[in-house]
Parts: sequence; C-alpha cells; structure tokens
Amino acid sequence: MRLKVFRFRPGMEKPRYDLFAIEPAPGKTVLTALFEAQSRYDDSLAFRYSCRGAVCGTCAMLINRVPRLACRTRLATLLAGDSDSPLPHYVLPHLTEPWDKQEEVLVEPLPNLPVIKDLIVNMDEFFSRYREVNPVFSPGEPDPERERLMTPEAVRELERYTTCILCAACFAACPVNGKNPRYTGPAALAKLYRFHIDPRERQGPARLRTADTPDGWWACEFHTNCRRVCPKEVPPDKAIGHARQELKEMKKKETGPGGDGA
Amino acid sequence: MDGKRDLPPLHHHDVIIIGGGLTGLRAALQLSRAGRSCAVLSKVHPLRSHSVAAQGGMNAALGNVPGTEGSADSWERHAYDTIKGSDYLADQNAVVRMCKEAPATVIELEHMGTVWSRLDDGKIAQRPFGGAGFPRTCYAADRTGHNILHTLYEQVTAEKVPVYEEFFVTSLVTADGRCTGCTALEIMTGTIHGFCAKAILIATGGFGRIFSRSTNAIINTGDGQALALQAGASLKDMEFVQFHPTSLLGSNILISEAARGEGGVLVNKNGERFMRRYAPRSADLAPRDVVARAIEQEIAAGRGFDGGYVHLDLRHIGEERIRERLPGIRLIAMDFAGVDPVTEPIPVQPAQHYSMGGIDVGIEGQSGIQGLYAAGECACISVHGANRLGGNSLLETVVFGRLAAASIILNLPTEPVPADGPVLSAVTEMEAKVNGILERRGGEQLFTVIDSLKETMDTKFGIFREGDSMDKGLAEISALRERAGNISISDKDRAVNQALVRFLELEYMFLVAEAAALGAIQRKESRGSHTRTDYPARDDDHFMYHTITRNLDGKIAVSSSPVTLGMFTPEERVY
Repeated sequence: MRLKVFRFRPGMEKPRYDLFAIEPAPGKTVLTALFEAQSRYDDSLAFRYSCRGAVCGTCAMLINRVPRLACRTRLATLLAGDSDSPLPHYVLPHLTEPWDKQEEVLVEPLPNLPVIKDLIVNMDEFFSRYREVNPVFSPGEPDPERERLMTPEAVRELERYTTCILCAACFAACPVNGKNPRYTGPAALAKLYRFHIDPRERQGPARLRTADTPDGWWACEFHTNCRRVCPKEVPPDKAIGHARQELKEMKKKETGPGGDGA
Repeated sequence: MDGKRDLPPLHHHDVIIIGGGLTGLRAALQLSRAGRSCAVLSKVHPLRSHSVAAQGGMNAALGNVPGTEGSADSWERHAYDTIKGSDYLADQNAVVRMCKEAPATVIELEHMGTVWSRLDDGKIAQRPFGGAGFPRTCYAADRTGHNILHTLYEQVTAEKVPVYEEFFVTSLVTADGRCTGCTALEIMTGTIHGFCAKAILIATGGFGRIFSRSTNAIINTGDGQALALQAGASLKDMEFVQFHPTSLLGSNILISEAARGEGGVLVNKNGERFMRRYAPRSADLAPRDVVARAIEQEIAAGRGFDGGYVHLDLRHIGEERIRERLPGIRLIAMDFAGVDPVTEPIPVQPAQHYSMGGIDVGIEGQSGIQGLYAAGECACISVHGANRLGGNSLLETVVFGRLAAASIILNLPTEPVPADGPVLSAVTEMEAKVNGILERRGGEQLFTVIDSLKETMDTKFGIFREGDSMDKGLAEISALRERAGNISISDKDRAVNQALVRFLELEYMFLVAEAAALGAIQRKESRGSHTRTDYPARDDDHFMYHTITRNLDGKIAVSSSPVTLGMFTPEERVY
C-alpha cells in the first residue's frame, strides 16, 4: 500500500503530495506508517507525535478526509473500505487531490488551522478559544479541610466531558469553524459546559454567560461532526444544546410576564 | 554564517522549569503564586507530556475505604509498603515525607477541580494496588494522569505563566559553579534561544525510550538526566529500571495495574493462573518486579503464547464494572489489539515502564550544583529505591514539584539575574554545533543507530541481566556512540527539523544508557527491578548503597552514597 502525504513548507507556492510505499501489517497504524516513511525515505517529513496510545491528543490529522488521531487509525481498516460515514456539510474546497482508496491512505493536515509544515498545524487559535472560556475550577467559596463530596452519578456525567484530550479533531471537522474563525468551537464549549455542570462550582448562570454570544453557544449549527470525529466520544453538541436550553429558560424567566429583568 | 548577525533571542526569568508535565506544572503554580517570574520550557505542548498517560492512580492514606477487618490506613503503613517495595533502597526520610504529604496532595488537587472517582458516600474512591496492604490508590477511572494534568494546566493557564512550547533544551549554562541558564532550540523555527535564570528546575520525566519495548511516550528520551550529567551533576541508581508486567502485545501500550487491582488475573497458555507460584499471598497483586519476572519465567519455560506473551483476563469482572472502572483500558485493547476485554483476554507482555534512578537530589530537589534542581521521574531522591509501587509516581510528581518550588523560592538569590555573557556564548556554541551537524553528508543513518541502541538495551539490560552479556552491551553502546559521530541528516532546514531533534535526543540517550549500564554492571546483586542471573540474591553487606554516576573529564565515573535507613529495618521481601 502507499501513504499519500500532503507536503508543504514555507516558500512553496502550493503543497505537493508524496507517495511512500508501506508494507501492510495487521494492526499497523497511520502513525507507525508515518514513522516508517520518515525513517526510511525522507527524514524531513514533519508530523507531531507523543504518546502513540490515543491519550495525549498530539497526532490529530486529516486521514482520508476525516480528522482523527493517526495513532489509533489502522491502515487495514481504511483500505478495507473506510467504515466512517461522510461528515455532514463538510466541504474542504482547498483540498482536491484524489487518491486510490483501495491502495492508498491520504494524510493531510487538520483543516481550519494554518499549516506550518507538512502535517503540522499552528494550534494557537484553538488554544486561544480554550483560554477564552476561562477553563479553571472556581468553587466560589473557601476550600473545606477535606474533599468536597460528589456522587458517582455526578462524576459519570462530568466524565463525558473531562475525557476531552484537546486534539482539535472537532475544531477541524466543524463546518462553522470553517467559515467563522471567531467561533469558540466544540472543544472549548464542551470544556466550559464541564465546569458549568460541576456540582462543586456554585456559579449558576455566570459560567454559561461566558459564551452567550453570537460566536459562542449560538453559532453552532448542530452538524454533529464534532461528536462523530471525537476519539474520546465527547458529545459537544449535547453540551451546546443543553446550554442553549438553559439560557433560553433563564431569559424567559428574566423577561417573562411580571419579570423585572433582574 | 558571516554577514549581518542578529543577537540571539535572550529571555530572563527568575526560574526556568524544563518540562511541562505534572511536576513542572505543579512547581510553576507554586512559583507563580509566590510572585516569582518563572517560565516553563517543554519540547511538546504541556498537555502532550507523558504524565497524561498515567492510568491507575495516586496513593494516599486517606482511609476512605476500610482495610480487611475494618483496619485503618495510615502514612506509616504507606511508608512501610513503599520501603519494602523499594527492596529497602529508598531513603526512609524521603519516603516518610512523601507519605505524610500524600493525603493533603490528593485533597489539594480535588480543590483545584480534579474529578476523582467517588464512593457512594461521595468521598474520593480508593482501590487496591500491587504491593500495598490497603486499598490506598485514589483514582479517576483509569485516566488519573489525564485528569490531573488537565487540572494543573488549567491552573497554570489562569496564572498566565509563560510556556515556551516546543522548545528543546540543548544545554545548561553554569558560571562560577552555579547554574545560570540554558540554551534551547525552538523547534518550529530552528532558532537557538538563550535563557537566563537564578534557578533551573528539571522536570523532564523518564528515559524509557532508550529501550524499544517501552510503555513510555516516544518523547521520553532522558533529556533532563543527560543535561544534568553534562553540567556536572550526579545521577543516582540509574540501573534500577522498572519493567511493567502488563503492556499490550506489540505496541507495548500500558495496561494499568488497576486492571489487576479490580480483579484481573494473569493466565498462561495452559490456562493456569500462575502468580500464586511466585507470590503465594499477593498473587496477581505482587509488586511489579515480582510479576514481570514471573511472566518472563513462564514464557521462558514454554508456558507463554507464541510470540512471547501471556493473557490478562478481565472477563469475570463483568461488562458494567469494566466500563465504569477501566474504560480507557477497554478502548486501548480494542483500538490497538482488536480485543474487547469484556469478551476476550488481553495479550500482554512486560515492557520498560519507569526510571527509578535519575538526577541525584535531596528531598528539596537540590542537586550538587547551586541553582540546579530536579523533581519527578527525572530525579532520584530516592523514594522508590530499587522498585516503585504503582500509584507512587503520580504522588511523587505533585509532592516534590511543590516541595522543590518551595525550596527554590526560599533559596533564590536576591541579587539581579546573572550576567548574560555565559548564556550568550553558550548560544553561539550551540549554533556552531547545530550547523556542524547539518553540514555533514553521507555517513551513518540516524534511525539505524537509534534502533540499534534500543535493541542493545532491550537484550542486554532487560529484566534478567548477566555480567558477560552486560559487558558486551556496554561495548556495543560505546561502538554505537562512535558511529553516531558520523550520522548525517538529509533535512538541511533549520525550521521544524525533527530529524535534528531526534539526533540531539540520541546524544542524550547515549549518556543515560551508559550510566544505566555502568550502574548495572557494578551492582553484583539482585535487588528490586535489578535481577542478575549470576548474582541472584540481595547482598546488603556489599550493596546497600546508592550508585552514583558522574561525568569526569568526558568519562562516566561510578561511586556510591549511603542509603538513609530509619523506622523500618531491612528484611527479606516476601509477598
């Protein structure tokens, strides 16, 4: 099989695609294949890596036009007919290179973020959005001597969101991020929601209002690409839906009959 | 490189922290809250640090879960288990300090927002772990490192601590016997930066990737240990390398000890639960060195599966409990071995997992060089001695990240940041070195040499070691190091040159490998993780000491330092 890889470095007018012959083996991942290409054929091939075990979130890239972690994506699965259904409303006008789906796996950098070199993108915008939601635990009261108590059920609900590894696959898969660079994006909104539902915080509506803006909760169009590509099964679209509902109810109360708006 | 020369970028901070994992971030938080100017340098984004992969948990005698017959846990029991687990090589004063700090450390993280798993009564849940007399390990499902690292990153982000992401530290700078800064390669641009500081804390983690079979992230190449050695500091107990019994066959991704803590059992190809033969009382929950040796012996005796592995069977735990307590393990087994542990046993084999040895420091993190500190896995105080217990490593990172930072604050010189001169000349030197590397053509292949070094470490310095074989291994390391001098890199760009980074890492790996090899060869006994077939017994009369390795005129010299004993007298280690 062949790995077809997007190659770009500053100074190039447009990217080119290189083909690397890779020996297929059961369980071989895209990340392993990239290491093979780098060590055997071209040591200038650039891609990020760290844990190789799908926990650190470093190696998200566009594989067969779906954002995913290179380390947990197996070549054989892709060649056997990529089982993923296409992502709704996911258009990538700048990527037109065709590939042979039986013989090749196509690897490109994550969309919606600027390319630095080859498969490495600049993540600054992604982490700016993260910082904008003020992702820090704020219990609003002095710490007790021991732990604050939590029910296992509350933990279970929180864990749906704390498992996020900030790999930016959702950011790259989101059609809204594609057209609105100011959109907070699925990962940061899911993070914000995680703090909102933390029973140890007593911030009430204040947390939700952090993103009560046209570029925050209200920009989402519910394509649900975020949930489809998340390697950790985080459902940002659910968080956004719940948040909007709560905000709507809050506003109804504030402006409702006899309400004084306070 | 003639023509116009811009001055290299130079940065000034009171304290530079090298490494953005749990230790580094906990230290940064402490320094920032104390109003000190500090910065974190990391070769990856902090959230990509290997700490994120820690699964099982953090030990603390919270006593939230009663022991057998309703007995209560205590820091003394935690200390006893740790010291016995260390095969009596840990410094008992350091262990006592860590175990006393443990409950407050878990609570502190809870107060920062870490989502710990909970008991029905709402308290932090605890579970049994290898070598522990109590269900003492606090956990966040099997993503404990992930949860804590994200919490600390959130806190550090809120403090607006500057983080130099994807900066690879290339040298430490010393002047008049004091560490005054470092140089670093900004990977994305290829620029060498200078950093001036009154103190440097190394928090770079372990060196697992000098072995090919390792659970560690690919980035764990022993950079900090090598930097310290080059700067003239000592390394300690480098021969003690932990092999985790259960890594996933093939990829060697960690399958947490929590899997056995929750009831998982090891089974050989005859369907036999073999651990009782090696550890009659603790069986599958014996410490890691004991279990790893047992698996290797089963495989050597022909009772492993073809390809050198055994089974870790979780099926009897049940789907609900696996989904709740071990969801990450299940995903890993499915993603990387195509096995769902609910219905099939997981194929596992031992793999390098942890570096007990490291930079020789005291309890407060100070090395032999003024202004140079280390904490976490890259350091060796020692709290783990010859074998670390599961759940003690996350504890060490946060406890000693905080203690080292506190000690730095206390000892920070009041006079201004040192003169720029030595750092500037170190930058010039590093520029010349990097240009020299990139100018080389022909010669050796980088990746061939890396693979050969790892192969040598796996085969000559693995779970079972023997004198003649290790001597050969040391000779191989030296020969490979010679060859590495002729390595050339095809990529000639300065910006995003990952081959260049790999080459610079390889130089570090050689130093660390040589120190580990020399330590292993001179220790003619078996203790904890260091098992010699030619010296199968522990020998307290001759080897109850820490191995010290340091750089003397370009050669690594071996000496020793005493172990601090205390409330627990060394006895035979039976499980």
